[in-house]
Amino acid sequence: MNAAQSWIVVADDAAATGLVEVARTLGTEVVAVVAGRRAVAEAVAGVVDRVLWLGEPGTAPVEAFAPDVARLVAEAAPRAVVGATTPGGRALLGAVGAALRSPVLAGVERVELAGDDVVVTRSVLGGISQHRTAVAGGPAVLAVDAGAAVAVSDTAAAVEEVAATPLPAQVVEVRPTTVAGVDLGAARVVVGVGRGLKAREDVALISGLAGALGGEVACSRPLAEGVDWLPKDRYIGISGQRVSPELYVAVGISGQLQHMVGVREAKVIVAVNSDKAAPVFAQCDYGIVGDLYQVVPALTAALGGTA
Amino acid sequence: MKIVVAYKWAPNPQDADVAADGSVDLGRAKWAVSEYDPVALELARQLADATGGEVIGLTVGAAGIDTPLARKAALSRGLDRLVLVADDALDGADGTRVAAVLAAAVRGIGDVDVVLAGDSSVDVAAGQVALTLAGTLGWLGLAAVSAVRVADAGTAGLVVERELPAGTAVVSVPTPVVLAATADAVVPRVAGMKDILAAAKKPVEVLSLAELSVAEPGAVLTTLATAKPGGAERTARIFDGSDAAAAATELVGALRQSGAL
Ligand SMILES: Cc1cc2nc3c(=O)[nH]c(=O)nc-3n(C[C@H](O)[C@H](O)[C@H](O)COP(=O)(O)OP(=O)(O)OC[C@H]3O[C@@H](n4cnc5c(N)ncnc54)[C@H](O)[C@@H]3O)c2cc1C
Ligand SMILES: Nc1ncnc2c1ncn2[C@@H]1O[C@H](COP(=O)(O)O)[C@@H](O)[C@H]1O
Repeated sequence: MNAAQSWIVVADDAAATGLVEVARTLGTEVVAVVAGRRAVAEAVAGVVDRVLWLGEPGTAPVEAFAPDVARLVAEAAPRAVVGATTPGGRALLGAVGAALRSPVLAGVERVELAGDDVVVTRSVLGGISQHRTAVAGGPAVLAVDAGAAVAVSDTAAAVEEVAATPLPAQVVEVRPTTVAGVDLGAARVVVGVGRGLKAREDVALISGLAGALGGEVACSRPLAEGVDWLPKDRYIGISGQRVSPELYVAVGISGQLQHMVGVREAKVIVAVNSDKAAPVFAQCDYGIVGDLYQVVPALTAALGGTA
Repeated sequence: MKIVVAYKWAPNPQDADVAADGSVDLGRAKWAVSEYDPVALELARQLADATGGEVIGLTVGAAGIDTPLARKAALSRGLDRLVLVADDALDGADGTRVAAVLAAAVRGIGDVDVVLAGDSSVDVAAGQVALTLAGTLGWLGLAAVSAVRVADAGTAGLVVERELPAGTAVVSVPTPVVLAATADAVVPRVAGMKDILAAAKKPVEVLSLAELSVAEPGAVLTTLATAKPGGAERTARIFDGSDAAAAATELVGALRQSGAL
């Protein structure tokens, strides 16, 4: 094992600050292998020591390069390999984990070195517990949140092109998303709504409350995936956004752990639910047991907004 | 077309008891087909019906995953047959090891065109096993798949749609391929009495871990410590909403007083 090195695997995405940060903690030399466009390789070259680039992908999806990425990583046998939790990132990490026969650790919150071992603090089982885990005998393979795009730098490493043989597959069409992205992370107040809502039109009711509170509207997963009443970047939880606002208001949300993990860091949590036995009431600071169709307009009015 | 669905028989951590030191007791947890895996089972059935193919369920885990209830739960969801690897040596196995066992079983089944899997499991929830399985097999693996159909006449393979952050991508893929479905790709069927009765007659093959050739792990994990995750302990002050206006006034007052507003 090459203990001085740690590698990042980049899936055509310059949002890699999170990857670099973790890799820097675990190795003195950070090597990036980039599957994707040259522009991404060049951006990453500004923040790492060495960049291996697999060439212009053309119409190949980034996942087609997973075997090439795995081969390069396995040859180098670094102490740690870090990739993103995005669909493309997980595909590259899957091939790496398979080649190294090493577990891919997700839910990574903190990393450190203990001698030659990588020690990872990670949340497990949907966030109900936190484990400190030592990886010994082989490389640690870590899936981490990608973080922001890497900053542009003018002292960049050279981009070394490496011949690749991508698996045959072709992206034949991309229909870009039309909805504007939202930065829930910056909101002081977030109002989340769940399956307690009966109709799509009623989202207006929630927007009214969010407006009166000067906050953003968010939701549980079923409202974004399944019924599509709200865009996917507005759902909160283990597979969605994690937020830490001053105030989170959960309306018609039962409080399943996969949702609540996303608001654990909120300063104050308020729940509105018609079922007094809903698990959300055991995880909030204030609760109103009642019908959201009565409580939400009343709240909006009490805040001086128009219900 | 021969389609394998890798699905997990898993405990729901929602019902776990977590001690102050972070140790987890899953004794009260309800076991079921992992929450989103029925989506993969349904996609597989629809694809097989369109191509006149066969759907084989595949699951691996500790001995406890092989119960009559667990078999029926999977077989009543549109499978033609089931292959199980149930061995206590797999208790708590990490995702890469699970993927290695699944890969060995897929090779054993032979001539598989497509492996379908869920988005992420209800307990581990890493969204990793399907993609590590693809890596082990050396096949293409795609996550975030929202639709699958056979390619138009004259072209081989499949056309899949993916929901990616940048938008919807349509990808033409040859087989064999591993596809992990989004949670809302299709609405899974609700098994009826007829499906449940038919399930009892479908073939089940139990493979022993010993007869599969699975490589030894290349790295070893040791749990050094467990902890109950941080975050404030919250004790709710509950207002009765039967008089909504009064409850709203009280809540807003309390929030203002505490400085949250
Ligand atoms: C691997 C995995 C990952 C997941 N990731 C996420 C995630 O990231 N985010 C997420 O949110 N979920 C996630 N889930 C799903 C999660 O387990 C729950 O199913 C989901 O959060 C439930 O959404 P809900 O609370 O809106 O709906 P429900 O659980 O159906 O709750 C609806 C609530 O509304 C209440 N209600 C009904 N009518 C009214 C009314 N008139 N007034 C007031 N209240 C009313 C009900 O009492 C109920 O409590 C995940 C699940 C899995 C297995
Ligand atoms: N033990 C298992 N047996 C069969 N399939 C599994 C197993 N574990 C995970 N999978 C599949 O891989 C998907 C992702 O699981 P995970 O990586 O645990 O989030 C699941 O939805 C299943 O389709």
